[in-house]
Amino acid sequence: MLISTITLYFYVKSLMRSEVEEELYSTTARVEAALSKNDIMFSLSPLVEITYADLISPEILKDTIIYDPSQNEMEEFRELSIFKEIKGKKYKITVRNLIVESEDILIAIILSYMTIIILVFMFLFYFNKARNNKLWLPFFTNLEAMKNFSITSDKPISLVDSEIIEFSELKDEVETLINKVRSDYKNLKHYTEDVSHELQTPLAIIQAKIENIINGDDLNDIQFETLTSIQKDIQRLTQMNKRLTLLTKIENNQFDNLESVNMYDRIVATVKNFQELSNVQIQISGDLTSPSVKMDPYLAEVLCNNLVSNALKHSNPDGIVKIFTSNKVLSISNQGSKALEHPEKLYSRFYRESELAKSTGLGLAIVHKICQLYHLEINYHFVDGTHSFTIRF
Amino acid sequence: MKILIAEDEIALQQSIATYLEKDGNTCEVASDFNEAVYKVDLYEYDLILLDINLTTGSGLDVLKSLKKKKKESGVIIISANNSLDDKLDGLDLGADDYITKPFHLAELNSRIKAVLRRGKYGGDNTITFNEIKVETKSRTAYVNGKSLGLTRKEYDLLVFFMTNKGRVLSKEIIAEHLWGDNSDLADNFDFIYVHINNLRKKLTGEGAKYIKTAYGSGYKFIED
Repeated sequence: MLISTITLYFYVKSLMRSEVEEELYSTTARVEAALSKNDIMFSLSPLVEITYADLISPEILKDTIIYDPSQNEMEEFRELSIFKEIKGKKYKITVRNLIVESEDILIAIILSYMTIIILVFMFLFYFNKARNNKLWLPFFTNLEAMKNFSITSDKPISLVDSEIIEFSELKDEVETLINKVRSDYKNLKHYTEDVSHELQTPLAIIQAKIENIINGDDLNDIQFETLTSIQKDIQRLTQMNKRLTLLTKIENNQFDNLESVNMYDRIVATVKNFQELSNVQIQISGDLTSPSVKMDPYLAEVLCNNLVSNALKHSNPDGIVKIFTSNKVLSISNQGSKALEHPEKLYSRFYRESELAKSTGLGLAIVHKICQLYHLEINYHFVDGTHSFTIRF
Repeated sequence: MKILIAEDEIALQQSIATYLEKDGNTCEVASDFNEAVYKVDLYEYDLILLDINLTTGSGLDVLKSLKKKKKESGVIIISANNSLDDKLDGLDLGADDYITKPFHLAELNSRIKAVLRRGKYGGDNTITFNEIKVETKSRTAYVNGKSLGLTRKEYDLLVFFMTNKGRVLSKEIIAEHLWGDNSDLADNFDFIYVHINNLRKKLTGEGAKYIKTAYGSGYKFIED
C-alpha cells in the first residue's frame, strides 16, 4: 500500500510535469507565431513575458517560485525561456505555468485510498459477519445444547447438523460421546442397584444361619458375644445397603408421590420415636403452625429422621438437641466440642470425622439429595460450640 | 401348622425350615416357580412364605394362582427388593405381610404367628402361655385374668417373647424389632434393659417369672 502510494505519487507528479512542459512549449510556439505575424510586444506576467535579448542563448527549463498576490502565497511555477531571432530582432520569451503542488497530489492519493479502504473494509466486515453468523450458527446452537446437558436427566440432547464437515463431525462425535457417557452412567446406576439387591440374599442367609446357631446347643458366652457382634455388623451392612439404594432411588427420581407434609407434625413424630433411644434430651420450639411442604411423605420422614439422628449421634452425652420450626425454617442443632475440619465434605458419601462405628456416613448425603430434589436450601453452621442445620422452605 | 417355604436359595430355605420346625411346625419347601405353583395347587397350607424372585418366575404369579383357587392360606412375601411398589402390589394381591431380606428368623416367626392369629385363618386373636393371656385386638396382657398395664413397647416386647418362646434373643434382635431401622442410633442397649426390666418386674409381680437371661447378654422366654 505504501509502495503503491509512493509510486503513484511520483508517477502522477512526472506525468503532470511533462504535461506542463508540453503546454509551455506549445505556448512559446504560439507566442513566436504571434510575434512573427505582428510585431507586438505583449506580456502577461507571470505567465508570458517577452523581452528583447542581447544574444541568443540556449533555452532554459527550470522551476521557480513566484509570489502570487491573489492567493497571498508563494506558488511554484515551471518556467521555459527561449531566445529567438524574429524579423531581425532578438527576443527572450519566457513562459510559466503553475504546477500542482506535490502535497496536494499526495493528499488526494491518500484520501482516495483511504476512502476505498474504508469502504472495502466496511463491506467485508458486514459481509463476513453475516456469513459467519450463518456458518457458525449450528456450532453455537450445539454449544448451547451441550451447556444445558445434564447427565441425570433423560431428555435427549438435540444437536443440529451443519454443511461444514468439521462441524458435522464435531456434532457426530459429541453425540457418540454423550451416548457413551449416558450408557456408562446408566450401567453404573444399575450396578449400584444390582449390587445392593444381590447382597440382600447372602446377608439373609448369614443372618438366618447365625440365629440357628444361637438357638442350637453347646454355646458358651464368648461364642454368643461373637455371634451377636456379627449380627450387629450384618445390621450395619444392611443399613448401608438400604441407604445406598435410597440414594440411587432419589437420583433416579423414583419418588413422585407429592403430598402436603406438615413439617412440625413430622418432626414431632420423629422425636417421639427417637426420644427413648438416646439419653440426649430433645427440645422443640418455635411456631407450631409450621409450613406444609410439598414432598414425598416417605422422604419427609427420612429427612427428619436423618437430621435428628445425626444431631443425637454427634451431641455431647449430656447435651440438648434443639429443634426450631417456623413457617420458613426448620433448624436442628446439637452441642459439639469442636468445629468440623472439612465442612465442605459434610454431604459427601462415607465422609466421617469421628470414628463412630454406628454411623454409615450416608445420612447427610441423603438429606442433601432430598433437599436438592425439592429445591430446599440447607445450611450448616458452627457457632459457639453448636452445630446447626437450617432448612429454608 | 403346615408351612410352605417357596424360596430358591436352598441355604435360606433350610435355615427357615430348621427354625420353624423347632416350634412343631411341618415345613415343606419349593425351590422354583413350577414347584411352588404345583404344591400350592395340590396341597393345603396354613401359611406360605413366598419369595418374589423365584428363579423361573415371579412369586406374585404364584400368589395370583393361589387367590384364583380361593385357597385360604396365609401368605407372607419375602423380597430382596425394599421397594414400596412391590410391597403394595403384594398386599393388593392379597398377601398378609411383607418382609424384606435380610430379616431375623425371630422376626419372621413373630410375623408368621401374627398372620395365623388373625381370625381369618381360624385364629382367635389371643396368645396364651400358662397364666399369661394376650389379647392382640385390644393390645392388652393379663396374668391370671389381671391386666398388667403395659406400655406400648412393653406390650410389643412381651408378644415378641411369647411368639419366640424358648429362643435366645439377642439385644440386637430385640432392638431391631422394637425400633426398626432406627435401632442403629442407640449407642448402647441400655434402653432395652430399661424396657425388659420393667416388663420383667410387672410379670414377676404377678408370679410369672419367664424372662431369663441367656449367655450373659441375651434373653430367653421359657418355663423353668
